[in-house]
Amino acid sequence: MKRLQLQRWSSSVLSPRVRTGSRLQHHLYTGLRCQSTFSPVPQAENEPLTHEQPPVSPIPSPNSQKSKYTLPSPPVEAARESAKLAALHARLYLPSRLPLETLARSLVDASADPNSNFNNASLATLGHDLLTYYTSEHLICTYPRLPMAVVFAAMYAYVGPKTLAAMTREWGVEHAATPGGEVDPGFLQFKRIDPGTEIGEGQVNGTTRPNDHRRWRVSMSSRVVYDNEFGEPVQDPTKNDGLPRPLPQGVTAEQASANFVRAVMGSIYLHAGRPAAKRFFEQHFLSRHLSLTELFDFSQPARDLSRLCARESFEPPVAKIISETGRKSRHPVFVVGIYSGEDKLGEGAGASLLEARSRAAVAALKGWYLYSPLNVRVPSSTEEESSAPWKPVHVDLGEVIV
Amino acid sequence: MPVQGIRTVAAARNGVGAFILPCKRMDFHYCDWAGSSRGMVSFLKSALPSFAKANPQIEIRVSPRPHKHPVIKGHYINGREKAICVRNLEPEQIFKKANLLKEASGEKLKRTKKPVTSINDSVRGIWSPYHGDIKTV
Amino acid sequence: MAAVIVSPKRPFLTLPFLLPSLSESVAVESRRNQSSYRRTKQRLRVKPDSSFGASSDQSQEQIIYNPPSSAPSVYHTPTKFLPADDIRRTLRTDASTDSHNTKELPPVFKSTSEKKYHLNQSDIEEIRRLRLSDPMTWSRWKLAKRFDCSPMFIAMVCEASPQKKEIQRQVLEAVQSRWGTKRRMAREDRQLRKESWGRDE
Repeated sequence: MKRLQLQRWSSSVLSPRVRTGSRLQHHLYTGLRCQSTFSPVPQAENEPLTHEQPPVSPIPSPNSQKSKYTLPSPPVEAARESAKLAALHARLYLPSRLPLETLARSLVDASADPNSNFNNASLATLGHDLLTYYTSEHLICTYPRLPMAVVFAAMYAYVGPKTLAAMTREWGVEHAATPGGEVDPGFLQFKRIDPGTEIGEGQVNGTTRPNDHRRWRVSMSSRVVYDNEFGEPVQDPTKNDGLPRPLPQGVTAEQASANFVRAVMGSIYLHAGRPAAKRFFEQHFLSRHLSLTELFDFSQPARDLSRLCARESFEPPVAKIISETGRKSRHPVFVVGIYSGEDKLGEGAGASLLEARSRAAVAALKGWYLYSPLNVRVPSSTEEESSAPWKPVHVDLGEVIV
Repeated sequence: MPVQGIRTVAAARNGVGAFILPCKRMDFHYCDWAGSSRGMVSFLKSALPSFAKANPQIEIRVSPRPHKHPVIKGHYINGREKAICVRNLEPEQIFKKANLLKEASGEKLKRTKKPVTSINDSVRGIWSPYHGDIKTV
Repeated sequence: MAAVIVSPKRPFLTLPFLLPSLSESVAVESRRNQSSYRRTKQRLRVKPDSSFGASSDQSQEQIIYNPPSSAPSVYHTPTKFLPADDIRRTLRTDASTDSHNTKELPPVFKSTSEKKYHLNQSDIEEIRRLRLSDPMTWSRWKLAKRFDCSPMFIAMVCEASPQKKEIQRQVLEAVQSRWGTKRRMAREDRQLRKESWGRDE
C-alpha cells in the first residue's frame, strides 16, 4: 500500500483563497460564478485538474432571483442561509474550521454540476483515497494473515458504496428530487438515472488489464495489481473499444451518497488537518460492527488445512471424534476435533462425520487467518509529532495457496 | 480458489464512536387566531430561540396551520415521524413535549425485556451441551 | 480470557453453599417440609470441581483454566498457530490445554495409510495408456486396485478420453431423468447444505 502524499497536491483541490483562514470564509466564493473559469493562481505543471474545465458563459447577476434557476447547483452564498446544512454540520460534530460552503459543495455531485470548482468530485477522490488507506492499514496490521479475498470483502464492508450510502441515510441527509440553483443546499444534489436504463453492475468494458479481450481467468494476485480496493475491475479511460462512450447521464443514489461521504472526509482533511480526519474515520467508520468470521467462504477446507500444515511443517492434521451422540438415530451429533500432533487446531459439530470434520477444518483455518498480534499500531500513527518510532508489524506467509 | 470473501455491510452502532442525534427535524405548527394555540405562540416567542440554540443538530421549521390545533412533529433519521398535539398546553408543558420528541429515537415504542441487547458476540459463547466438563452429581 | 488467577487457595470449608446452615433451614421450614428440604439440599450438594480442591503443589501459584461450555471461539488462536515471538505462547501452559486424552480419541477415518510414493514414470505412462486404450474396463477404481494407489491419484495423473466422458454424461442423464421432484429437490438441498459448511452457517 503506497503512502499518500496528500498535502503536496491538495492545493489543486481547494483554491488558495479557501485555505487562507476563517476570516475570509464568509466572502468565500461570493464573487461571480464566472470567476471560476480561470484558475485563481498560476498553477504548477503537475496540477492539470482545473485546466480541463469547459468555459462557462458568464452569468450577468448571480444574486438575482431569476438567475438562480439557470444555475446547475445552489449558489455559494446560499449555504449560510440553509438551516438544513447548519443542522447537518452540527449533527456530525464537524470541526468549526470546516465552513458551511465546503459542506454544501460536498453535497453537489458531479452529475448535477459538471464544473469541477463547484462539485465534490475532487474532494471525493481525496476522501476515497484516505478512507481506503486508513481501512486497509487497519485491516492488514490487525489481521496480518487475512487472505486477499477476505481483505477485499472487509474493505467493501467498511468503506464500500453500500456502506457509505447507509451512512448517508444514518446522517439524515435527504436527496433532492432534481438538482438546481434554487434547491436548498442541504439536500444531496445529483442527477438521477432515467428509469429503464440498464445498470451494468460490475460489468466494465475496457479495463486496465493487459489482454483484456482474451477473457483470461482472473487470479487473485492480478486483482491486487490491476483492480480497485474492493477487487472490482477498473474502467480504463483510454480504452473505449473503438466506440465513443456516451457521457454518464446520471448516477444512482448509492453512488451519489458514497461520493458525498467521501467528499466530507476529504474536506475534513483539507480544512481541519490529518488528526481530525483520522479521528473522524475512527469514530464513524471503524466503530461500525463487522464480524470478520462471517466473511469466509471455503470450498475445500480440509485440503487447505493439510496444505497449511505441510507448509508450516506441522504434523499432518488428523480428525478425531471428541464426542458423539445418537449415531444410529435420525439426528446424530458428532463433535470432531482436528489435531496436529498433540495440539488441537479446531473443532466443529455436525450431523455427519464429514460435516463435523469440514466444520472443524473451517474453524482451524479461521484460527490461523484471524490471528491478531498484541499492541497493534498502524503506519499512520507515526505521522504525528512526538509519536513513538515505528516498529515493523508482524508479517508471515499468511494465505494458504493451493 | 481456496477461500472467497462474502460481501456484507458493516452494521452501524450509533453512539459507539460517534453519536448522531436521531431527531433531524422538528416542525412547529401554530394558529394565530385559535385559543388552543395560545401557549404555543408564547412558547415560540419566548423559549424556541433558546431551544434551537441548545440543539443545533435539529433543523427547526415554524409554520402556521390556520384553524387547526398546534402540533409539534419530529422527523427522524430512520424515516419515521412523530407528532404530538399540544393544544391548550402551557409553554413549559410544550417545552417538555419538544424535549420528548428531541430525545426519541424514532422507533416505535416497544417494551424492552432484556437489560442488555447487543450485536457483539458473547464472551463465553453460545452454550452447547457437548462442551465443558460434564459434572456428575 | 477464561483463565482466572487465584493466588491463595480458598480453604475447602469456607464455601458456604457446601454446608447446610442452621438459619436457612429454620427460615425455609415454614414453606417446605424439612425432610424434603434436606433431601433436595443433599441432591444439590455437588462435589466441587477438581480445580477447587487441594492440589499437590500448594505453595505454587497457578492458573485455573475453566473453559466455558461452548464451542471455542475462532479468535482464540491455537497455540500452534501463534508465531514464535508471540508472548501468548509462553503464557499458555499445559494446564490450559486439554491434551491429556488426545491419544485415546478415536479417529474419524479408520485407516490413515501412509503415503508410499512407489509409482515411477513408467507406471504412470502405463496408467495413461490403459486408461486411453480401454476406458470401459480400466476404470479409475480398477486402475487404483492394480497399481495399489488411490483413485484420486489416477485422476491426478490422467484424464478419461472424450468418448468415455460423453458416455458417462449420458448415463448420468439417464439416471437423473428417472428422478422425481422429491428426490431432485432432496439432492439439491443436500448440495446447498454442503456448500454452507464452508461458510460456517
